[in-house]
Amino acid sequence: MAASVLTRFCINKSKGSIRFIQRRYRVKTKWAATRPTFPATELALHNFDTSYSIQLRDLWPSIRVAMLSEQKYGALINSFSSAPNVITELEAQGCKDFISIDCTRNEVHQSSLDSMTSHRDSAELDPAALQPSMSPDIKCLVFPKGDISRFNPARPDSSGILGYYLLDAASVLPVLALDVQPGHTVLDLCAAPGGKTLALLQTHSVNHLWANDLSGSRTMRLRRTLQSYLPKEFLEENKIHITSTDGRQLGMTEEKSFERVLVDVPCTTDRHSAMVEENNIFKRSRTKERQKLPLLQTQLLLAGIQATRGGGNIVYSTCSLSQLQNECVVQQAISLAQQELGITVQVQDLRWFAQCFSDTFHFAPQLSVGELVLPHLCANFGPIYMCKLQRMN
Amino acid sequence: MYSTEQHLLPPSISQIVRWMWRWSVCPVAVSRGYMPFCSTQQKPHQANPSPISQVTHRPGNQLTLCSLLKMGFSETQAKEMHEGATKSRGKHVHSVLTALLLLGLNPSSILKIMQKCPEVYSLKGADLQQRIDHLRKMGLVEGVSLSVPLFPGSLQRMISRYPKVMLLPVKRVNMVSRLLREKCLFTIHQATDILRDSPEVLEQDLSKLEYKFQYAYFRMGVRQPEMVKAKLFRLSLSELRCRHCFLEQRGLYQTPDKKGQTLILNPPLKDILCVSEETYLVQVAMADADEFHVFRKLMAREQEEEGREDEYSSDEELEEDKDDDEDDDGLHRRKRHWNTGYKKDRK
Repeated sequence: MAASVLTRFCINKSKGSIRFIQRRYRVKTKWAATRPTFPATELALHNFDTSYSIQLRDLWPSIRVAMLSEQKYGALINSFSSAPNVITELEAQGCKDFISIDCTRNEVHQSSLDSMTSHRDSAELDPAALQPSMSPDIKCLVFPKGDISRFNPARPDSSGILGYYLLDAASVLPVLALDVQPGHTVLDLCAAPGGKTLALLQTHSVNHLWANDLSGSRTMRLRRTLQSYLPKEFLEENKIHITSTDGRQLGMTEEKSFERVLVDVPCTTDRHSAMVEENNIFKRSRTKERQKLPLLQTQLLLAGIQATRGGGNIVYSTCSLSQLQNECVVQQAISLAQQELGITVQVQDLRWFAQCFSDTFHFAPQLSVGELVLPHLCANFGPIYMCKLQRMN
Repeated sequence: MYSTEQHLLPPSISQIVRWMWRWSVCPVAVSRGYMPFCSTQQKPHQANPSPISQVTHRPGNQLTLCSLLKMGFSETQAKEMHEGATKSRGKHVHSVLTALLLLGLNPSSILKIMQKCPEVYSLKGADLQQRIDHLRKMGLVEGVSLSVPLFPGSLQRMISRYPKVMLLPVKRVNMVSRLLREKCLFTIHQATDILRDSPEVLEQDLSKLEYKFQYAYFRMGVRQPEMVKAKLFRLSLSELRCRHCFLEQRGLYQTPDKKGQTLILNPPLKDILCVSEETYLVQVAMADADEFHVFRKLMAREQEEEGREDEYSSDEELEEDKDDDEDDDGLHRRKRHWNTGYKKDRK
């Protein structure tokens, strides 16, 4: 028996207020007797419990509670802002730039190791490989481990440019791993909403940046973000090219055009899916879309590989814990690139990278390929997966 | 007839009545009757005190070191008691002490009680006796079987552990007991057990008490016998919520569905609440202490922010538990209407 329920408005009994329900949340009174009993967040969590308890075993409960708790943010400093004391003001609140701290510590460790190995012939310690090669200009401040303080929203300076961008600090890692050198042309295949794009620009090494996203609305968001953070003069220099097309096409149209390519694919956004009901990818109407994600991700990565010049780097990243969207996609793309396109791609080891930042983030131990930042209550960043590839021919 | 050694068996009801009558007429006549610690039987001149001379003394002034020593306190104990009594300016300390002694508490226990709760000095003997009798009536001394002489364990233990209970009027005790029995549907036996194990409930706000019960009943799916066994009411609501939500968000505890089923086996409530934090973390939650402390900080902040939100709305309902997004609509519906669905049919 169908309930005669008015679905356009919802009366909140505890507060006595009336809320308008948008069409996509309304229940079809014709068939539904009650409101949907399984919210998408619950479906997402159930999915995670089933797959990740097997994949991550003992680590899963800690990850689960961290994903359901308030996320920790980092402040990506906007070096284009003319405000003088952005960093000192933030540091006064107790946060520190994890990039410079972790790097200098690693360098000190390296130099001590170097002095040791100069007298010995050790095969495991390869100083060249361990040398951190990443853009030093990116600064991202975070509060210390266990500190749950929040950042205040960024304030505009005299020209209306904001001082910092709040994002998951782990999102900066793929950009660091990409290692943009001066004069490079960079492609950001799925750029919106623009956090990683902004981080790329902070390196001050980008000769030309192509930022693309499939969705028109998200591309608008990207444009707005860049407008809030970059001075008009910079935007007018035509260094940045923003498009709103299917990234898979760019592989063919822009073959071998870029030295560095960032492929930050659409994924199940695990943390977001466990907490936010709105437009959740785990809702039943989006099941097919979700099941086709690994295929889409592989195609996007292949396009990214195609668009890279010989000797260039590609970094593949997602914000999901799922093996199917991470390691499997990378391995599939590598073999397809070889077999179908004759492109040889080599995985670049990021273990030193993970070691370097292991004080700020919790990395998953022993992945077959790439590195995975795990959420943990003491360092509630992530989940972020990243894998660095180099095109050999 | 009576020796000076201390008996621990309480007097019978008729004896109590006799003594109370005696005291109301002659407040000093502690030396007569069943006061085993008094050796005044040997002093003939006190065996028949002249009523006039005794009545002219106010009861409070009778609390001399001498009388304390007679009650069985050592010298140091007596000095401390006397100091405390004079500081509090209680007028009926003598009768208060007598009532406590009647209960079968020995002098050192009484001293500890007075140290823990100096307000007891200011009580009136008759009030105190009434409250003790009321607690006794509620079953705090009831023995397991009638053939065994009344074992006075629970009432003494409760008062020694939580002396503040003596400051509470009978009406208050009644209100709490009624809440437990009528709204929370504990049996009389269970309600007595709760009062005995967690006398703190007598001082708590009634709506908060009911909310804690509702949290355990609906949110955790725990039933009354388990609540009593786990001494639910000893823990604060925030600590209960913290330990439960930590487990739930780790995937180790699930709220049972309408049929009372869960996909996993929930750890029993007493394993969660009755253990130290270290044991809880190691055996039940299987987590680090750092993790738990960060979690607690996050929860505290969340609660604080929700509290501030509620202040702005002119809503008088109980603070709703907004912790988890996974809450079934049905759960909220049940909780909100729990007053109507829960009351027994009065036919």
